[in-house]
Amino acid sequence: MKRLTRVLTVAVLAGLGAASLSADTYTPGEPVRGKFENLAKEFLDYHCFDCHDGETQKGDLNLLDLGPVDETNAAVWKSVWAQVSLQEMPPKKKDRPEVIKRLRFADWIVSELQRVMEDKGGFHAHLDPKKGNFLDHNLLFGPLPDGIKLAPASSPARIWRVTPQEHITRLNELINTEPQFDPKKPGLRTRGDVVPTNHGGELKLYFGTDRIIKWQGGTVAYATSVKSIPVVLSSARKHGFENYPDFYTVNSAEATQILSKAEDILRYMAYGPLSIAKPEQITDDPKTYAPEGDLRGLPTAITYSTKIVRPMTPVHELMKNPGVADKGLRAAVDYLFEALTFRPPGKTESDDYLEIVKDSIDKVGKENGVFLGLSSIFLDRDALFRPELVETSKPDKDGRVMLQDWELGLAVNHALRYLKPDAELRQAIADGRMRTRADVEREVTRMLADDRIRKPRILRFFKDYFDHDLGGYICKDDKALATTGVASRGNSHYRAMFDAAASTDRLIELILEKDKGVLKELLTTQQVVATRADNSYFGRKRTSEERSAAQVAKKKAEAELAKKVAVDLKPIVAELAEIETQLKNLKGDPESRKILKELTDQKKKLVAAKKKIEGNKKGNQNNVNIAVAEAKLTGLKIYSRVSHRSFGNGSMKPERTLVTAPEGQRLGILTHPSWLVSHSDAMDNHAIHRGIWIRERLLGGGIPDVPITVDAMLPDEPQMPLRERMRVTREDYCWTCHKKMDPLGLPFEMYNHAGLFRTTELNEPVDTSGEIIDSGDPQLDGPVKNALEMIQKLSKSKRVEQVFVRHAFRFWMGRNETLNDAPALQDAHKAYRDGGGSMNALIASLVTSEAFLYRTVEE
Amino acid sequence: MINRRNILHGLAAGVSSAFLPNFASAAPSIKSGGGPKRVIFFMQNQGFDPRTCIPAGMKNSGSLAGIKLPEPISALEPFKERLQIINGLHGKHTSPSHSAFFGALGGYRGSDGVRPSASTIDYELSKVLPETLLPHLCVGMDSMENMKGKPTVANLSASGAGQPIFMHSNPNHLYEMLYGGISQGDIRSQHEARSGMFDRIEEMAAARGKTLPTADKQRFSQYVQGFNDINGLRGRLGKVSDHLRKFAPKVDDRYTNPEFETDWHDVNLDLGISALKSGITNVLTIGSGRGEIFGAWKGLGVEKQGHNLGHIDQPDNPIWIKIRQYNSRMLVKLMEELESVPEGSGTMMDKTLIVYTSNNADKQHTNGANWPVMLLGNCDGIFKSGCLTQLDGKRPINALYATILETVGVNSGRFNMSEQMAAKFDSGTGSLKEILA
Repeated sequence: MKRLTRVLTVAVLAGLGAASLSADTYTPGEPVRGKFENLAKEFLDYHCFDCHDGETQKGDLNLLDLGPVDETNAAVWKSVWAQVSLQEMPPKKKDRPEVIKRLRFADWIVSELQRVMEDKGGFHAHLDPKKGNFLDHNLLFGPLPDGIKLAPASSPARIWRVTPQEHITRLNELINTEPQFDPKKPGLRTRGDVVPTNHGGELKLYFGTDRIIKWQGGTVAYATSVKSIPVVLSSARKHGFENYPDFYTVNSAEATQILSKAEDILRYMAYGPLSIAKPEQITDDPKTYAPEGDLRGLPTAITYSTKIVRPMTPVHELMKNPGVADKGLRAAVDYLFEALTFRPPGKTESDDYLEIVKDSIDKVGKENGVFLGLSSIFLDRDALFRPELVETSKPDKDGRVMLQDWELGLAVNHALRYLKPDAELRQAIADGRMRTRADVEREVTRMLADDRIRKPRILRFFKDYFDHDLGGYICKDDKALATTGVASRGNSHYRAMFDAAASTDRLIELILEKDKGVLKELLTTQQVVATRADNSYFGRKRTSEERSAAQVAKKKAEAELAKKVAVDLKPIVAELAEIETQLKNLKGDPESRKILKELTDQKKKLVAAKKKIEGNKKGNQNNVNIAVAEAKLTGLKIYSRVSHRSFGNGSMKPERTLVTAPEGQRLGILTHPSWLVSHSDAMDNHAIHRGIWIRERLLGGGIPDVPITVDAMLPDEPQMPLRERMRVTREDYCWTCHKKMDPLGLPFEMYNHAGLFRTTELNEPVDTSGEIIDSGDPQLDGPVKNALEMIQKLSKSKRVEQVFVRHAFRFWMGRNETLNDAPALQDAHKAYRDGGGSMNALIASLVTSEAFLYRTVEE
Repeated sequence: MINRRNILHGLAAGVSSAFLPNFASAAPSIKSGGGPKRVIFFMQNQGFDPRTCIPAGMKNSGSLAGIKLPEPISALEPFKERLQIINGLHGKHTSPSHSAFFGALGGYRGSDGVRPSASTIDYELSKVLPETLLPHLCVGMDSMENMKGKPTVANLSASGAGQPIFMHSNPNHLYEMLYGGISQGDIRSQHEARSGMFDRIEEMAAARGKTLPTADKQRFSQYVQGFNDINGLRGRLGKVSDHLRKFAPKVDDRYTNPEFETDWHDVNLDLGISALKSGITNVLTIGSGRGEIFGAWKGLGVEKQGHNLGHIDQPDNPIWIKIRQYNSRMLVKLMEELESVPEGSGTMMDKTLIVYTSNNADKQHTNGANWPVMLLGNCDGIFKSGCLTQLDGKRPINALYATILETVGVNSGRFNMSEQMAAKFDSGTGSLKEILA
């Protein structure tokens, strides 16, 4: 009866000519405007009030009194938008709205939220990459219902703030000369690869470390002594895509620091280590510099070689020559401008900065004025933001403008690189050969085919996609870490994790080099890039019985060794006693000097031999980790890209081996400790995060935000398995969402929270079962016995491949896909498939798509 | 997230505000009606051994009246009735070892090279205390070479995850920033050159922001606004130059030609005090040793420097007695200077809280099981004073920070500690009632 009344009301409203959601056609991107009463209320009435009115209030939600979108109910409307977009509501068993009606309703909510929140921080949730999957996958890759009319694709005209990695690479180019690519050692970091984080996971730029030949003190002292600057631009996101254009600006804290650090950089460009050290510290014979006292941690603790290795630039020339001539000043200005913005300055720009420098020199003299004045270029808009504004061309009939010349050239360059355009691309831009899709294809194909041209942006995509590089930042509880079986003292675990991230990076690169079935390979490879520590991390946590047995074996081995030592020592001890007696007897005898010397020498040798044998008493047993059955990882020696020397003995080492994972225990990156620990917490595994990752990044599903009323805490029961503690998420109210994540994350319980394979948990057989529920591909749905089975299933799925393509689209376009991008996504997926799972083909397709090439300028 | 406060904090570890402050004598009163109006954090590196501050034989909470303070802090004897020694907080979760770095004021795990995982207590206070031109000032004291070679470093304070706040160590730079507008000679020239350049950058940036799409314009305007704030601060400081002139320290040889690093330590303290007295800032963080494991005090006759100092057992050690005495004299100077400025019916000191501790708990190689703190100033009787408060070692430093925030009307929960962490690291809930009067 209640329903009938409402239907009648709506019929009356419709009869009166009110706007409705049930329009015949729908063009994505076109605003849906209308009043709540005659647009949204109809939808709520048909599809929501049955369960969410004053009488029923399912989930404690009464939508009857919701009313038009306003500041006070924005959170509820956001939740309605999420539920409807994800097709969680109305539930499957109820009448569901037509596709167009649903899309129009969701669009209406978004535009209303944007309107009412405009002066209250705005509404941006739909632009967040985590909400990208709110757009129905089947609409993007399946047939569209009648009435949906797609508009030509494009992206908005915009500026992108450069990323922290890009920024620090630009600065690094000014002061450090990096090695060129060596095809014989393809894994070593070379010019154009990203400036890596140091052993503490910190992105920092170091001055002159390639000239340091001596220093005082250990790692910490060395680190403190070396001049460095930390990354200044912030990056607030920890997970997923970090760099949509609308995420960041440059705040004044950052601007002030950039300016201050610019002066340090400029001085180093001019004077090299002399800008940070005393003349006597620069010598090829460190013995000549022997300062007194304890200098650890001080800049004076370092000796630099005399060999000049930094790039020699017009800044050096300017300061080397006396006086200030316009020519030298302009050369320095133009050089810096292009080094920092990646394009040559226009005449006005060059004049403006020249004037600033001259003005500074007038005020404070050459020395300070040059550095102060030139530092202003570091704050040029285009040194911090990359423009895609298409200001010089006219829009086509659809309101789109194709990127041209420098904007297009830099967009293509940015798609792959952190360095400025190479000579060929620069020439192409200058010659007017960066204006068409064919131009882009030519340059992208050229760059993708050339290994010497480093392309760290591709690796960045995989870092953002997999989130496998967060393990070193997960603060582990010491005791909880100790129970995993890995070394938990000091920083060894964190360093192992930063090493592991570099190893996984290298594995990804190796798979990209082959460029065949890339996603499938990443998900199922048996290859592992390993360090020595990985013998533990890729090992198996022993069961309690095995640990006891190992302990017994260790003691036995120690005892046997002790026995052997005793046997070995016996003749030495006897001989020593004999010598002692002889020495005693000969003492004071002037004629026996020669014999005395011989005996003394022999005694020394015997004492040394005794010491050595005694030292071996425990043999290698001290290093035996009884908690872990270590993997015996041996294989080809290779390299991973780790830091430029930053911390002396504490620097990360590039040496790695390419090995095969222990059989039946691992399958692809998701089973590597780097990924597993990145998705763990201080005390245990994080099955929920792992499940969310699978749901979002492989299945293309979305999860609404946690309702603010939910106290998202698992019970603190250290003696209970995680699966048992997660019982709270299986309560009806929670399970609606948690069924999308928990059963996908729990199969990874076959590993502990340091990433070691295990068969037991708390001395009971570990339960690794899970289930794929409502994946969107019925063939995938169903129970799985462990992570390996689940990954095998997923790796064969076409849908998973398409979801991967969606993520690549987001990364390279810097925005979420819309329905208008469906053709580009389908083309990209086809290119990937036709290329046999080729990442290069996928990238080339995306970068030559209309979404990449065209910009829409708002009216 | 960018907000006005963050932008304001931009200016060299927190310069600027949108309006002229009312200055010390007329600073607006806080809503809660109590609590400090300004807070100073003094962080000595290498640990703060409780035996260097707790009178011998004193094991339990109790009054300090009639009890002689230990030699290292004997300079505080005349101010004993304002002193509360708190022993038995912990920072085990901050992994101090050599230094907890940002974790010392943040109450979270910190280590060399680890970026801050959240904002620190000094920054949080600067957001809620009466607004000033420069919400938060950090000064750092180190060896002369380090202060010259790296005049700004960030190890202790942060405005959010991954957002360190820099501390100033070169007093010439700091003076130029604060008092460039009223200075003469080289400092004046530098100030003018810098101001001219900033004006020009702002002008150019503003011109290039005009044609941006609406959404980008808003984002870019924050960038331009940053320069506007920097230039605005210079302008505002310039406008109140007559007022500032009264408080600006006199630049002498210690600035330009220091004999020892302690000359710069002293003048950096003077600059910090002047910023408080003039009302430029309400939160001052002093990093003696700049949050690291080095530092030098040759001016005190301490020849050893750096890491080795940390290996010395502090009690009864002549070097550490000298350093702690030096700290204590600085604390006395802070109190006396603030006492000399009337505020309301009393003095500035009446509404000032000084938190003295270490960025490294109780010693150099420590697990953080004990984190001694001295509070100076009871803020009109809100905090206990004239006493030792002995705690049971089961509440974290976060509880202290949450309590201070509470006294200025902010409920920060457990301050940077999740319930999951608290289950392991905090035996209680709510404020540290033991330290409140």
